[in-house]
Amino acid sequence: MNIFVLIKQVPDQGAKAGINPDGTIDRAKAKRMLNPFDRYALEAALHARRLYGGTVTAISMGPPPAIEILYEAIAHGVDQAILLSDRRLAASDTLATAYALYCTVRYAGAFDLVFCGLQTTDGDTAQVGPQLAERLQVPQITYCEKFEIDHNEIVARRVIEGGAQTVRCPLPAVVTVANSAPRLAYKTLRGARRVQQLQRDEAERSRVIRTVNLDDIGADPLRCGLKGSPTIVAATEKVGEIGGNCTLYQGKPLQQLVDDVLAAQVIAPELVKR
Amino acid sequence: MSTKQVLVFVEQADGCARPVAFELLGAGRILADKLGAELAAFVACAAAGDLSETLIAHGADRVYVAEHPELAAYRTLPYRRVLIDLIAAMETPPHIVLFGSTTTGRDLAPRIAAYFETGLTADCTELDIGPYEHTNSQDPSKVGLYPDCLYAIRPSFGESLKARILGPWKNPQMATVRPGVMVPLAPDAARTGTVHSVAVRLEETDLQLVVAETLRSMGEQVELQGAEVIVSGGYGLGNPEGFSLMYQLAACFENSAVGSSRKAVDAGWIAHAHQVGQTGKTVRPKLYIACGISGAIQHRVGMDKSATIVAINKDLNAPIFKFAHHGIVGDLYQVIPELIRQLKLQKTPTPDTSNVATHSL
Ligand SMILES: Cc1cc2nc3c(=O)[nH]c(=O)nc-3n(C[C@H](O)[C@H](O)[C@H](O)COP(=O)(O)OP(=O)(O)OC[C@H]3O[C@@H](n4cnc5c(N)ncnc54)[C@H](O)[C@@H]3O)c2cc1C
Repeated sequence: MNIFVLIKQVPDQGAKAGINPDGTIDRAKAKRMLNPFDRYALEAALHARRLYGGTVTAISMGPPPAIEILYEAIAHGVDQAILLSDRRLAASDTLATAYALYCTVRYAGAFDLVFCGLQTTDGDTAQVGPQLAERLQVPQITYCEKFEIDHNEIVARRVIEGGAQTVRCPLPAVVTVANSAPRLAYKTLRGARRVQQLQRDEAERSRVIRTVNLDDIGADPLRCGLKGSPTIVAATEKVGEIGGNCTLYQGKPLQQLVDDVLAAQVIAPELVKR
Repeated sequence: MSTKQVLVFVEQADGCARPVAFELLGAGRILADKLGAELAAFVACAAAGDLSETLIAHGADRVYVAEHPELAAYRTLPYRRVLIDLIAAMETPPHIVLFGSTTTGRDLAPRIAAYFETGLTADCTELDIGPYEHTNSQDPSKVGLYPDCLYAIRPSFGESLKARILGPWKNPQMATVRPGVMVPLAPDAARTGTVHSVAVRLEETDLQLVVAETLRSMGEQVELQGAEVIVSGGYGLGNPEGFSLMYQLAACFENSAVGSSRKAVDAGWIAHAHQVGQTGKTVRPKLYIACGISGAIQHRVGMDKSATIVAINKDLNAPIFKFAHHGIVGDLYQVIPELIRQLKLQKTPTPDTSNVATHSL
């Protein structure tokens, strides 16, 4: 089986470093990490290889430091990786991103399955997977939490509102993996050794982790980056500034405080159970 | 037919529209009126029955109905095919197309947007129409004044910001909208509209994926969305037992439910079904009591449309005091038992306080 898994490097929102005083992210200083949702996709790809054989190729798009997450994927057992890195990709929205990834997948060759994380923690749209499937003209299974493959057909359980659904479709397909799917296992010793070897041996590294640009993959630069993005962020509004006329109750003995609250009819009497 | 249109994708099961469809019609009606446009609804199903009338009563001027046995349950490719065919057959594409940010809307909308190479903003919490002047562009063809842009507004995560995302260069402008956020119109049987049947042309490849089984409503049902009063507990409760205090306070109200922040869910103190916020539910009760919740943007977007927000927090600088209507600054384990005591006093002349003392200090 030829298995691809798409992964992305995102700012680590848990880390305080890189958060400006006004709450925005200083992307240059922010610590970066593998998108948490992609860990489930990685596990799904490795699981598919464990059961059905084949190779797993991790694909990422991002600036050169994104190679860190490709090393991480290799430490977990991924066979090889492709990093699409090109300045002309800056400010891509989901449509332009899905186009660039589509060109990368096409460049990487024939596939049986493409796994994607459900969404990213920085963009949070869950759109790239389905948009990629549209460009590849294949069926998609979104919110997948469990699957097996039987006679070139995938049978999957997907999450829906208040329940679950079992679907089946022939390969190839794009699968976005829900965060209720199995968690990523630990890095393997073999994987860690392999990363060490790649870090030492440049020739081997460029064989295993191919870094490509738009020209290499035959992508139209006009359909990438800002130019290829039909949407823009036109304005941002700081949320903390709205409202701000909260009536505060404080600095009084407890009983009196609560008296005041109830006397002000903060809690509408008709809502209270009689 | 070249009337300007706002088109809403109607999610349905067994011929019954899901609540999000009515919410989208409510939001779509406002947008259509501002644009001087028609509000259209698109429904794909096996048999529409009287669904069209219901959609018209909820605000649609026009209903497009695609009926076919293969459209009974939602599946990406057949639904994709009929919706693309419908839009492509129009003389001018709809100005705006709206979907719910449900597992269905988030599955279908991106494929439609990619097909038409148009913009799609995810998970919006506010929509509006307004002008936009684009000046600074690497692409001169985009420069200009656009009078009728869709303002698709969504929280920008990890940053306490709301972003206004625009894509005025190409129609349709598309967005998915969080369920529970928009207000449906009161149904009015006197409203009129037209019903148009859509030709269904499915190809063999559209039918590759088969739904073998659908199971709904497993596990716990939490009626957060219908409750008039929500008592929500956060990480400030300090321990899972704190939620019993939440239930005691909720019990003081008619039609109430217990909610929570994500940190309390992640800590394993309460089930995810109770979570309010970006990755939980959006609620708009008459009264929302936030107990030991700091008020992070991801929580806020799920509850800031509540009619009255009361926050109980011991930290005067907690962000929740920036948008709550009333803030009680104090330890929730002192404030809430006293609140319960006084609420019960209000209702009974001879108070019985014996069962509220469990969590006082
Ligand atoms: C992609 C993403 C999605 C998310 N989605 C959601 C979501 O859907 N919903 C959600 O809620 N969060 C969500 N979050 C998490 C969110 O950012 C916050 O971390 C979370 O809301 C914080 O929960 P909290 O307010 O309960 O906890 P904290 O931030 O820890 O706040 C606890 C509060 O309790 C107060 N407190 C402590 N002890 C007491 C006491 N004895 N009496 C009174 N007050 C006390 C403290 O002063 C503090 O203000 C999401 C985050 C991300 C990155």
